[in-house]
Amino acid sequence: MGNASPLLSLRGVTKQRLAAGVRFELHVDALDLVAGERIALVGESGSGKSTLLDLVALASRPDDAARFRLQVDDAVANVVTLWRDGASDALAALRARHIGYVPQTGGLFAFLSVFDNIDLPRRLLGLPRDGSVVERLAERLGVADQLRKKPASLSVGQRQRVAIARALAHGPSLVLADEPTASVDPATADIVTNLLLEQAKERGAALLLASHDWARVERLGLARIAPEIARERSDDGVVVRSTFARQS
Amino acid sequence: MTVPAPRDLGRIVVLSLADARHEWRATLCLVLALAAVLAPLLVLFGLRFGVVQTLTERLAGDPRNLEIVPVGAGRFDKAWFDSARAWPEVAFVIPRTRAIAASMDVMKPGGPAINVEMVPTAPGDPLLKGLLPATPTCTTAPNEDPAVVCPPRVYPRILPEEPAQAEQPTRPRILVALSESAARKAGGIVQGAVIAGIVGRSIDGRQENARVALNVIAIVPEATYARDAVFVPLELLDASESFRDGFAEPLLKSEGGTRPEGERLYAGFRLYGRTIYDIPTLRDRLVAGRTEVSTRAAEVEQLMSLDRNLGLLFWLIAGIGTAGFLLSLGVSLWGAVERKRRDLATLRLLGFRTRATVAFPMIQATAVAVLGVALAMAVFAIVASVINSHFAGSLGVGETACRLLPSHVGVAVAVTLLCALAASALAGLRVARIDPSEGLREL
Repeated sequence: MGNASPLLSLRGVTKQRLAAGVRFELHVDALDLVAGERIALVGESGSGKSTLLDLVALASRPDDAARFRLQVDDAVANVVTLWRDGASDALAALRARHIGYVPQTGGLFAFLSVFDNIDLPRRLLGLPRDGSVVERLAERLGVADQLRKKPASLSVGQRQRVAIARALAHGPSLVLADEPTASVDPATADIVTNLLLEQAKERGAALLLASHDWARVERLGLARIAPEIARERSDDGVVVRSTFARQS
Repeated sequence: MTVPAPRDLGRIVVLSLADARHEWRATLCLVLALAAVLAPLLVLFGLRFGVVQTLTERLAGDPRNLEIVPVGAGRFDKAWFDSARAWPEVAFVIPRTRAIAASMDVMKPGGPAINVEMVPTAPGDPLLKGLLPATPTCTTAPNEDPAVVCPPRVYPRILPEEPAQAEQPTRPRILVALSESAARKAGGIVQGAVIAGIVGRSIDGRQENARVALNVIAIVPEATYARDAVFVPLELLDASESFRDGFAEPLLKSEGGTRPEGERLYAGFRLYGRTIYDIPTLRDRLVAGRTEVSTRAAEVEQLMSLDRNLGLLFWLIAGIGTAGFLLSLGVSLWGAVERKRRDLATLRLLGFRTRATVAFPMIQATAVAVLGVALAMAVFAIVASVINSHFAGSLGVGETACRLLPSHVGVAVAVTLLCALAASALAGLRVARIDPSEGLREL
């Protein structure tokens, strides 16, 4: 990945979660992601992929962090400081402007048309009303004839394509996808994932994709990060320690 | 690094209303629930207001209900009247002389002499309200009250003496109002007539009469004053009393003894409250000052009691209904937030700030309140129209049994909005606790 300044840079980031006698500890020793880079977080269920994605999505506060930076538009956002200062509005603004999300199953709004769902992040940012942006994206993702419909009348695969379009419509620097094909059949999963990779590449967005499907990730030729998992018994119960480390 | 704030507050209004429209069945249920509570309350309040207002207007329309007169003779000096005029409940007060000195004969040329009671009056007398001629050049708009916009140009008073005519003694001209019964009995005196007023006294067995010219500027209808009476300026009553007491009185061109020095004391007064609701207060105030009075406070107190009891009934029903509605709306909105957790989390994930997502249920509550109030108002309009038609036979012109003022509607809208927002606040707080990461995956 050369020496380009990373879009995302994490060092010594930790997050703990407690559930049913199990203490889960996520450790991100190092994680760098440069602009336009595409990486898969691969691991079994419970390995901490989603927890890491929550952190990167600025949706979950780290317990500790030596460095957590997002560099966009030639400026650096110090996420550690923002969390420490309780700057939830600034975090929301960063999410709105620089991050796109593809949830597990669409996450589309049933009360909006497909067009309005895709257009929502653009409207939120007050970008110029330009239907052609939405229409072009929808065309590339094969849902151009569904724009006037409500999400309820779409198949699961179509909804995922709409979700991809929504994640890219406002030109984010970073796209996060958490098991985006978990609810579709394998053939559709390949199509949807390919579309996501293509479109992210075409728009120059970095991509962080969480998946438990090693084979598909290998087939797609994506760089992979897999956590080291350690399980211990302690007086409190079971401790699961998941450690991610990857430097550019 | 500074990133411009997302334009989420305007957008959340659009999204919240779009969601309410999408879930129109649930929204309609809430609107109907609100209207079902509010419409009967509006009708009940409208009935209370309409009935009480109509009875109040009927009572207030008769100035006798505003009048307070002393029972028996008293001794009231100028200071007492100055103090009574300053009471906030008093609209008008004027002294009365002793009853024995407060009568005169009136007659038109060639007509019979009628003995009438002399009633002191002055500008602002409620008994003469609307009866005195207005300024001829004054015009009013259709929605203006001529009595307010065009105050009377003339009122009972003593005009300056006219220049003496040859061989005729000068007499001041006195403007008066005559009661309808006295005018009829005196042979049909009409407004504008100049009649004679005669005050008599007996001194050492000699009968003396003083004669004054009275210009009748108004006829007071029997509905306002049923007895034979002439409404005169107080100075004429003062003069008559002095004359009958045997003193010389310049106004009546009479001779006699000199009135002793000292302040004049009056035997009574005519006092009017500003509203009928002031009468019980004034009665109590006067009785506390050891002045026994006669009033129609009992009727007023009956009306006030009716108003209180209807008010109590209204607030009781309003309290139960409102509590039920608030609970229903609050629980519905809370339930809706629970159902839409993922949508709300996704909004936060997309960059909507917490305050914007908190507004989501509150905007829907506002929409429900607005639609519910509109529906309730429509129901009220229909029911009020039916009630007023049903009772039309018992109502006078312009009277209604069930009605609301625009200010009542404004208060109803404001209170409903406040209640709806209060009910949605809990749901809003619930939204504030939703974690944006819930938008990334199915839970």
